[in-house]
Amino acid sequence: MRDVAVIGGGMTLFRRRLKETGKELSYLASKMAMEEAGIDKKDIDMVVMGSAPDAFDGVHMKGDYLIDGSAAAGKPYVRVFTGGGTGVFAPIAGWWHVASGVADIALVVAEEKMGSCYPHPQTAFRHIWDPVLDRPLHPNLVWLFAMEMNRYMTRHGIKKEDIARVAVKNKRNAVGHPCAQLADPNITVEDVLNSEMMAWPVQRLDISPPSDGASALIFCSEDKVRQFTDDPIWVAGCGWTIDSTMWTNRDLYFPQYVANAAKMAYKMARITNPPKEIDFAEPYDPFDYKELHHMEGLLLCKKGEAPILTREGVTQRDGDLPTCPSGGLLGVGNPIAATMGQKVCELYWQLSGKAGKRQIPGDPRTGVGQAWGDIMQMGTVIVLRR
Amino acid sequence: MAKKEAYPKYAPGTHVSTKDIVNKKIAYTWWEPEVQYSWSLGPAMSRFLIELKNGKIVGRKCNTCRRVIVPPRMFCEHCFGPTDEWVTLKDTGTVETYSISYLDADARRIKDPILIGVISIDGAAPLHGFMHYFGDMKPEDLHIGMKVKAVWKPEKEREGAITDIKYFAPLKKKGGRKK
Amino acid sequence: MTFLEKQTDPTSPMHWRGDMQADYMYTSGVAGDRFFQNLKKRGTFLATRCPECKKVLFPPRLYCEDCFVEIPDKGWFEVPARGTIRSYTVVALDARGDKLPKPKVIALIDIEKTDGALLGIINTRNLDSDLTGKKVKAVLKPKTKREGTLKDILYFE
Repeated sequence: MRDVAVIGGGMTLFRRRLKETGKELSYLASKMAMEEAGIDKKDIDMVVMGSAPDAFDGVHMKGDYLIDGSAAAGKPYVRVFTGGGTGVFAPIAGWWHVASGVADIALVVAEEKMGSCYPHPQTAFRHIWDPVLDRPLHPNLVWLFAMEMNRYMTRHGIKKEDIARVAVKNKRNAVGHPCAQLADPNITVEDVLNSEMMAWPVQRLDISPPSDGASALIFCSEDKVRQFTDDPIWVAGCGWTIDSTMWTNRDLYFPQYVANAAKMAYKMARITNPPKEIDFAEPYDPFDYKELHHMEGLLLCKKGEAPILTREGVTQRDGDLPTCPSGGLLGVGNPIAATMGQKVCELYWQLSGKAGKRQIPGDPRTGVGQAWGDIMQMGTVIVLRR
Repeated sequence: MAKKEAYPKYAPGTHVSTKDIVNKKIAYTWWEPEVQYSWSLGPAMSRFLIELKNGKIVGRKCNTCRRVIVPPRMFCEHCFGPTDEWVTLKDTGTVETYSISYLDADARRIKDPILIGVISIDGAAPLHGFMHYFGDMKPEDLHIGMKVKAVWKPEKEREGAITDIKYFAPLKKKGGRKK
Repeated sequence: MTFLEKQTDPTSPMHWRGDMQADYMYTSGVAGDRFFQNLKKRGTFLATRCPECKKVLFPPRLYCEDCFVEIPDKGWFEVPARGTIRSYTVVALDARGDKLPKPKVIALIDIEKTDGALLGIINTRNLDSDLTGKKVKAVLKPKTKREGTLKDILYFE
């Protein structure tokens, strides 16, 4: 198994609806990553596409449809999908291609066009539920996360104010991100607590928006990386785990599958004390409580401790464990798989000192990114290290 | 050390607003899919729905794991062996989590909230149950740990579906003592 | 090891019916929007030439998928809305397998002055002769009725 480094990243604007087709978005993100790495289509050996339900874009072979914009015409290609976990799973699949030795340079593209689905992207989510047990009750995804949030809050006695702090931090952090959809330098905890009630306890400003967007990453093997950089950013570890679909038979207060994926990634990265050895984290934050839930799942703190760390400012950019310095999904947007831009491209840009206004002070050396998918089932974790 | 450039250097993409679409400022194609499904239920779900029509909740017992699982399945996903026998469960249970929703399935706002949650069923393994509505209660009464009982549709209205149960209501203990 | 229960009742297992409830608004994209707005206003086709491989791409696109370079503005040009039938088929049944009131002729038409082609309905009564190689031109909806979609082309003849 070879060592693998990241040599370029790219992202498009994230908005509720973009004019570009899915293929055009894939092209723009791929081209940006290729420009940073200084390579052309002919230099790419293999392509991995990550994209979540076909039902958003409305083309039911989405993976194969987007290849033209993903520099894949005529190349070895695969599309992977693990629901919301795709944003970190696609880079993991890209890593497989290079670590195994079958490719020296692999392009990973992630795309989502949720704006095509009417009346609302939630309508596409109608079709992920069990047709017999769940669909006749007409559920929506906000209910599902509201139920998980409720269980988490009740088990640990967490107040909404502490959870709202995450939304405030991330939307303010997003001010330094050119692609951000919901950056807000002035948002306060009161704004979040006064926002419209969606499904108790979830309020409007607790949730990330649906978005159109694409992102891309380029992986390079240790054999060729010195052609591109003297200071490579390496993939130190990957982990992925899925739990049962029978979510009504599980205790939702702790994401065991995220912890299992994290352990797998940390073992590969030879990390034995995550809170000490990890400098910053990009956990998946489609809802504000999810950042806390996932910090605990990533074993960065004890169960129930994440809200306390947030309250004490530990997770701010200048704190001891900067969390979501990109602005996360809450600030930059949530085009499901394309969140690879904030979760993995961001790790790369932070570690190479290229994050501009979002740059974490000091000398970060190790970052962990994580995504979460399906019906509270999939945990995907990646560790990058300089 | 020289200051490095900030990435991403630019954000390509063209925003379109709802107005742009309503006023047809951009060219778009509208499509309404016509696709229907007929899902095979399999032996476990078949029996589950048949028993719901009879006003009963059933589960399957896995003797290896020593747990009764509901909703029932013919195989146990933990030990990955076949499950062993049918068990009739009670139609009462405990609220494991819930939400009070002001949104419908298409994310449209509704005035009267829907009370929804997960109920672990009495007689099954701990935390084992399914999602359903709550009714005959005020939203503020709903809490984790609350004891509830299924309210069924009248027999002739039941069709063999999860909706043969209308909702779960507070379990009233005899003698008026609150649990 | 198989399931421990046998199915003996032919009316069970049951089935559960459902459908897909979602509608779609597909944006045409930056390139597509330019093509359709032009079709709406001027009734002509647009094509793009790749600056590297020099292929004339039709339908026009933002980038050449082979060379993976963006097509500059000067790579766009107008072509007449006509071409030659490369291949065709006569469709007798609809999507459900029921007989169509009148058979439909669908053709792949190589568009003139481009390296690309378009699928189109051919308006012809003559189903006996071979249509391959026939020159056809697009008949569009009247300008006021065009909406900026492929349906603005009524048929080719």
